[in-house]
Amino acid sequence: MSLAGKRILIAKPGLDGHDVGAKIIALALRDAGAEVIYTGLRKSPEYIARVAVEEDVDAVGLSILSGSHVDLVRDTMRHLRAAEGGNIKLFVGGTIPQEDNAALLEAGAVGIFNASQRIEDVVAEMDKHLAAD
Amino acid sequence: MPPTDTPNGVLDASARRRLAREISRLATASAHSVLRAPPTSVAPPARRIGFTGPPGVGKSTLVGKLVERRAAAGTSVGVLAIDPASPYSKGAILGDRIRMDQASADPRVFMRSVSSRDSQDGMCNNVADILCAMEVHGFDEIVMETVGVGQAEHAVKALVDTVVLLMQPETGDAIQALKAGILEVADIIVVSKSDLHGAPKMREVLASTVRFGAQRAVNWTVPVIGVSVETGKGLDELEAALTAHAGWVARHRTPAETARRRATYRVQDLVLRRLEDQLATLSPDDYDLPLPELYQRVLTGLAQI
Ligand SMILES: Nc1nc2c(ncn2[C@@H]2O[C@H](COP(=O)(O)OP(=O)(O)O)[C@@H](O)[C@H]2O)c(=O)[nH]1
Ligand SMILES: [Mg+2]
Repeated sequence: MSLAGKRILIAKPGLDGHDVGAKIIALALRDAGAEVIYTGLRKSPEYIARVAVEEDVDAVGLSILSGSHVDLVRDTMRHLRAAEGGNIKLFVGGTIPQEDNAALLEAGAVGIFNASQRIEDVVAEMDKHLAAD
Repeated sequence: MPPTDTPNGVLDASARRRLAREISRLATASAHSVLRAPPTSVAPPARRIGFTGPPGVGKSTLVGKLVERRAAAGTSVGVLAIDPASPYSKGAILGDRIRMDQASADPRVFMRSVSSRDSQDGMCNNVADILCAMEVHGFDEIVMETVGVGQAEHAVKALVDTVVLLMQPETGDAIQALKAGILEVADIIVVSKSDLHGAPKMREVLASTVRFGAQRAVNWTVPVIGVSVETGKGLDELEAALTAHAGWVARHRTPAETARRRATYRVQDLVLRRLEDQLATLSPDDYDLPLPELYQRVLTGLAQI
């Protein structure tokens, strides 16, 4: 498995103030060879989309614990498209109930992770999606 | 964008996307592919400012604050932050951006981080070309952040108009810097984190070093400015020094000289990378050759395309 040469943005939209999970995934992705950029807390979907495009990332991982994941994924996807970054793959992770998966896929996410998943599995799945390019 | 529009550094979505992709292409391009289509800038050259200094000294924080202020005053700014890659992992966390989040939300700002991973001198590959590619978009200013290690200062010196060197209030750094000759590349010296204990002392040491050192440039005395982004102290003074140095550059350096200096760096960078590739092709047996023959073999290899 290797994410070498891939660029990934880890972003925290929404209001929750916990980024331990985001940082753990950032480090795991780095160790898998990726160049990782982290936005910091409480960023707007518009800002996240703009950073994703400027940094020319292959993927954005949204870390969301606030419960508004469906809206935030939809908004981020909309802004990505407006910024001509519609081909950037969007992942979402956090406290996400299974029953929201369909809505998240519909909103544009290609991968959905929840807090109980092992970090290696998260990295492996992102790798699988990104290797397709 | 219609051709009648002069690019002014305020990028619409599609220009932003294009520039971002072009930087990615250049940052990973081989010397060979750069030579096939080297970017050339037709826009009026941007004012280029480089910020350099050891890791953790406060470069990104200062660049973020300064760019935020300048953009708010109407200046369009392209930022290239070259993040040192950890030698211990293949990947990298590019951490400059998070300190520039205020600035990077401004429409007059384009901000990009790249890793120095593959480059020998703490820069990134093809940095001269990346700066050119940015310049095409008509930014008023281009700001570059680099770690001051080894050859990087000299590269910065060649590529920008004004070099700002940061040192923090801790004398160990200053003495190292003196030994390494780092101070010599600075046009402006900033003592960062001047809200911290030891800053006045550090400023004194650096100022007297500058005063007693050989004067490098005619009519320019390197100012030593205490700055704290935390309190805002020294920011006005730093901006005034940047303006003064721009005036100095306009009076003392011709555009042709500047272009020559940059071309020298660019060709040297390409040749050195070609040399590295060439050295990598040598076999263990080659090292049994007498030195003059080994030397000749490498030179011959270099000359082949
Ligand atoms: N006290 C204080 N800390 C600062 C100041 N500027 C930056 N820092 C801190 O210094 C650390 C490194 O800053 P950063 O900008 O990332 O440094 P860089 O590695 O040179 O880009 C961070 O923890 C900053 O918060 C300042 O003016 N005062
Ligand atoms: Mg930095």
